[in-house]
Amino acid sequence: MTVETRPAEARSRRPRLDRPLRVYLLALGPGLVTAFADNDAGGITTYSIAGAHYGFALMWVLLVTAIALTITQEVGARLALATGQGLAGLIRERFGVRWTAFAVLTMLVANLGTTIAEFAGMAAALSLFGVPPGLSAILSAALVVLILARGSFNRIQYAFVAIGAGVSIAYAASAYLARPDWSHAARALVVPEIAWGGAYFVTLVGVVGTTITPWGQALIQSYVADKGLGPRDLGPVRLDITLGSGLLTNLIAAFIVIACAATIFPTGGAINSAADAANALGPLVGPSATTLFAIGLFAAGLLGLGTVPLSSAYFACEAFGFERGLSFRWREAGVFYGLLTFFIVGAALFVIIPGLPLIQVMFLAQVVNGLLLPIILIFVMKLSREPNLGKLRSGRILYPLGWLITALASAMSIAFVASLFLGF
Amino acid sequence: MPYLSEIQHRRVIEPNGNEVGTLKDLAVVPQGQFPAVQWAILATGDGEQVVKWADIAQEIGHLRLRSRREALTAVTLPPEALRLSRDLLDKQIVDTHGAKVVRVNDLQLSEVDGQLRLVGADVGLRGLLRRVGAENFAERLVGVAGRKLPRGIIPWHLVEPLESPESSVRVTVPRTKLALLHPADIADIVEEMTADERRQVFEQLDIETAAEALSEVEPDMQAAIVSDLDEERAADILDEMAPDEAADLLQDLPERRREELVELMEKDEAKDVEELLTHDEDSAGGIMTTQFFALPADLTAQQAIERLRELQPDKELTYYLYVVDAQGRLDGVIGLRDLVVAKPEAKLSEVMDPHVLKVDATTPKEEVAALIAKYDLLAVPVVDARRTLLGTVTVDDVVEFMLPRGWKKRSNRTLAR
Repeated sequence: MTVETRPAEARSRRPRLDRPLRVYLLALGPGLVTAFADNDAGGITTYSIAGAHYGFALMWVLLVTAIALTITQEVGARLALATGQGLAGLIRERFGVRWTAFAVLTMLVANLGTTIAEFAGMAAALSLFGVPPGLSAILSAALVVLILARGSFNRIQYAFVAIGAGVSIAYAASAYLARPDWSHAARALVVPEIAWGGAYFVTLVGVVGTTITPWGQALIQSYVADKGLGPRDLGPVRLDITLGSGLLTNLIAAFIVIACAATIFPTGGAINSAADAANALGPLVGPSATTLFAIGLFAAGLLGLGTVPLSSAYFACEAFGFERGLSFRWREAGVFYGLLTFFIVGAALFVIIPGLPLIQVMFLAQVVNGLLLPIILIFVMKLSREPNLGKLRSGRILYPLGWLITALASAMSIAFVASLFLGF
Repeated sequence: MPYLSEIQHRRVIEPNGNEVGTLKDLAVVPQGQFPAVQWAILATGDGEQVVKWADIAQEIGHLRLRSRREALTAVTLPPEALRLSRDLLDKQIVDTHGAKVVRVNDLQLSEVDGQLRLVGADVGLRGLLRRVGAENFAERLVGVAGRKLPRGIIPWHLVEPLESPESSVRVTVPRTKLALLHPADIADIVEEMTADERRQVFEQLDIETAAEALSEVEPDMQAAIVSDLDEERAADILDEMAPDEAADLLQDLPERRREELVELMEKDEAKDVEELLTHDEDSAGGIMTTQFFALPADLTAQQAIERLRELQPDKELTYYLYVVDAQGRLDGVIGLRDLVVAKPEAKLSEVMDPHVLKVDATTPKEEVAALIAKYDLLAVPVVDARRTLLGTVTVDDVVEFMLPRGWKKRSNRTLAR
């Protein structure tokens, strides 16, 4: 009689999870937070437009961005794990002052667009209850300032994440109840359905731009650096990124697209207002769809506002060595607070412009993000092979894949700009 | 006084005016207060060339080699040399005077007794503007408003470079300046470092300083640091920390690691810490320290003072003396002042105040804080259900969560230095 036992050496070769559980949990955050912050007001709107206007035809983009986001975020996380610095600091050390100024300018333009989109989203949400956009913008700005000033964002961000999760589930349920053609949806995920045309292409850029964002690249690094994670934490961080950023972000996006593709697309409807987009939740909650959508959009906007302006001010101040962080007083960190104020007040004022088409503004901001993305990715990729990263240098798989993504994103941006000039 | 950015990239010519290339970098050996510039690195058509700085003359608009390029003796940089542009410019350094990590925008050089020396790091806005060639413009602009651009230069002897793995520089006794700082300042600085650098600092500091600095580090990062340290070292540092702080830290580690460390700690400290670990982190038991000063009731005031002299308890534990019975149950309290003014032969039982404000080990920490604030106490004793004295919560244990977030961080920036 023989008893099969696993050879001892095989057992000992299994990796031991001897990292502190708490550090593991600390790390189990950036991916998750990014996952929901990625589905901010601009994200929900863009995915809705993608599904409502093109049915399943843009599903394949979600699969590609899922892979691309996982890779770019891992490359970024490795930089921070090895050096303990944010993206801005590394750009400064490697490329000097002038290139840093260029990177900061790029980041600020993209993020200002995103911030405007968040305000527009909150205004669109409140407009469903009949609140005029101007008033919403002022209320939203006041709310954000209050939350940041009280230092309670870290605590309440999980409330927003919870609302985000709720809305995501609502979209999933609604998609299910709308009885979409699942086999078609699955096929569209793998087999690109390309509808050549300017509008299709713009939407594609928007979907990419709202998923892989310049600020997302900055956020992952500052998160890792601020928690004091080091090279040994690569495993948990990678897991978190793959599950959170890669899988969850795009799963939610896919459900939004499917819900819209199954409800709005067949009617030939277009999304011109928040009320149109809310219809996608109809199969689940019927006439309450508007309310549910409004709550989700509002929370998504607020979650984005708690993240993006802060990360912008942080980025610029890290690059140029100014004091940064909410623990400082105004007098001590003037540049930091000045930028933060500029972002919040400037973006809110923009949304106050009467007759502003809120949905289009949100969508366009994502397109701008998509266009500027390659610039940030090039910096990230060039940093990823620096010898000071030691074992965390991007290797034979990550490095070429990262450049492939960067090349694709660049091609997308160049084609877009070229088409503007050539007039398609 | 010239700045590195002003002479970097200048044309370098031979005595006869032939162009050789441009100045790429300068190198010093980082020793002494203001290290002398010893080498220049030239970017020539066929790569880098190192020449002695003494072989170069500064002229208006360019640099001139004192002899023909071929006639110069070949030099290589010694491993301990520090290249100013590659190793310092745009990098982070520790300003040991202001006790913070800052980024180098430019480097200030000065001609002292015919020797060009590195005298300071420019970390201000001015240096930044100079680098992009906008210093004069900005100065005029600000001048219109009747203001002046602020200077932000840290003298070199107050600077501690942060070691960068890419450079060949390995300072032999690193962080010597760091060790002289207040532990709270060291904590602020290590928070800006990489995991590796942090580990090095905590390996090199003496145990006492390391323990104090670790106590001041943000809780999230404390756990990360202790996880990275060698176990023996971590246990030594934990031994030195106040038991309540060590327990708080250990609470954030996974069970196995925690047990390993407690195992390695000194018996007495380990016992205190283990007891604290049984309490909820947010209760009086979780924040208290197990150190206190307790005396039997039949001692005289004179004897009590002698005991105090003999044991020299920490300052936070000296103001209240607790009187306990044979079973360690809390019977009363005596303030230090009352003890000192009492007749030397008076028994403690006569001098003590039997109405002691005390809290249960399970009392939420916020309530403890409120109690301490309301009655202006310096400490409050913690007892179990049988009134056995377990420990004390001192005012410094509760200050942290009574103050608004971030207060601790900014306080040291308002201190005059």
